[in-house]
Amino acid sequence: MTDTRLIHTVGVRALEWLWSHREGFRLEPDVDPEVGFLERLKPVGELALICKVLFREGVAGARQADLARRLLDHAWRETLDGGAHLVLAQRIEPISPIPFEVYLPFRELGHSRPEIERAAVLNHRTDSWSAFEMTPTRRLGLSAFQRRFGLSPRPPEADALAGTWLARTPEPWTVEGHIAYDITHAVFHLTDWGEHPDGLPPNIAGYLADWLPVWLDDWLDLRRWDLLGELLVVDACLPRPTLDERAWTAFAAAQQADGAMPALRSMPEGDPDQVFDVVYHPTLVAAFASALATSRALSELAQAAAS
Amino acid sequence: MEQSGTSPLLPGTVQDLAAGVVSALRGGDHAPPVVRTVADDGADRLLLAAVRVTGADLLLPNVLLRTAPHETELALFRRALEAFPPRADSAPAIRWSHWAMIRTLRRLEPPGPGRRGDTPPEPDASRLDAAPWQVLTRQLAVLAALAVPGEECAVTRAARRRPVDVSRGFVRAVRRRDWQQAAGAGRWLMLLDGVPTTLGLEAGLDFVELMGGTDPRVALQVQAARSIRAGVFV
Repeated sequence: MTDTRLIHTVGVRALEWLWSHREGFRLEPDVDPEVGFLERLKPVGELALICKVLFREGVAGARQADLARRLLDHAWRETLDGGAHLVLAQRIEPISPIPFEVYLPFRELGHSRPEIERAAVLNHRTDSWSAFEMTPTRRLGLSAFQRRFGLSPRPPEADALAGTWLARTPEPWTVEGHIAYDITHAVFHLTDWGEHPDGLPPNIAGYLADWLPVWLDDWLDLRRWDLLGELLVVDACLPRPTLDERAWTAFAAAQQADGAMPALRSMPEGDPDQVFDVVYHPTLVAAFASALATSRALSELAQAAAS
Repeated sequence: MEQSGTSPLLPGTVQDLAAGVVSALRGGDHAPPVVRTVADDGADRLLLAAVRVTGADLLLPNVLLRTAPHETELALFRRALEAFPPRADSAPAIRWSHWAMIRTLRRLEPPGPGRRGDTPPEPDASRLDAAPWQVLTRQLAVLAALAVPGEECAVTRAARRRPVDVSRGFVRAVRRRDWQQAAGAGRWLMLLDGVPTTLGLEAGLDFVELMGGTDPRVALQVQAARSIRAGVFV
């Protein structure tokens, strides 16, 4: 099994990078409406979801939990202007689920913006929201978010799950990059982003236990660190995580001295904002995978000590 | 295989032999593969080497379809065995391939004065148990000629102990477009219990044939797998 310190260190360094580059999470209020203001909300939503897990997970360590909380507060106060930008986005595209999706983790940590909540409740009542065309995996995520918000999911999560690629446990040799991301995100939604690993139905957990080692092997050799990191999150959500030593060692070695994780092969060069846009996601994923895997490794150690 | 550097013509001859085996397995051509390649028994060293590289699979149609091999073919098979014995430092894969040829010969040879005794002791296969699944599958694919129904050996037993690992190796080989390895692993999987049903092996073999089947060596393994599955021989 992989050295827990190695796994833990990846997360420590990733969070330090995210904190020192927090200004990179920026919106463009003056963007051409045809380009889409809501597009730039996506990184903020991912930051919030993952930092919430890091903050709640506890195993990340005091310094990391503190950084995760400060990152969240920064994103709420500075990037989203206390949620005002989410309200603006909702007014630009009233039917879009994005403001609600970005809002949810902040709300779960105590932030509040009643306009977004009223819009979510209203949208939830409309047939349009449940008919809104999106990929089945994202639909599963939206149903899960409705449940977390306290609404009765439309469609129910079990129905939404049935439409995903993963639920049908198809031929594992057909998996390519896009399918792999559908797999990882279906797992994120089923487990509330790693908070409830037991949310994985047993047949899906068994399917992943059989085939995840192949996909880890594959994307490790292709040095696709962003996807490898997401697959390591999936591993940490399984009933018996492998904490694959070869994958974790290479993943740690790919991380830069300042904590940044390249998305693919090596670090890009150029304009700092553009570099940020490429590497913020794999770096967030590195912090996420590290926290969950550290947690699982420590609980396995505790169980071994108790038995 | 260590003898394969003898001639630039060797790969082509090996492919010709493989194409002949495929044809015979499909039942579309009953002429023995070697006889199709050379009209007389004046086989040169190139052909002997190609027979040695093809190994026991040259006579796979006879084993699976329970037919007697053509005399010329059998003689050539025997000569190839004698011409390329394993050396003291040969890799286990070479030893196993040689051993598989002897086993096939013993199975198909008519009883009588020409018969030369029992199958020799098995080479060592102990490394397979400790091999990571990637290495296990690569090795098994090289030794796919040992994947024959009703025949047991240490390699077969090692494969039987790890059906999920071999399944993973099949997926890995397909993903990496190593059709030869995928086809060989697929042939093994047809013999194993405990292969996850989610693998989708039959469609997977069709995919391997679609993508890599223009290579007769790939087609040979796919066809062998299908014949094993169909169970025409039992």
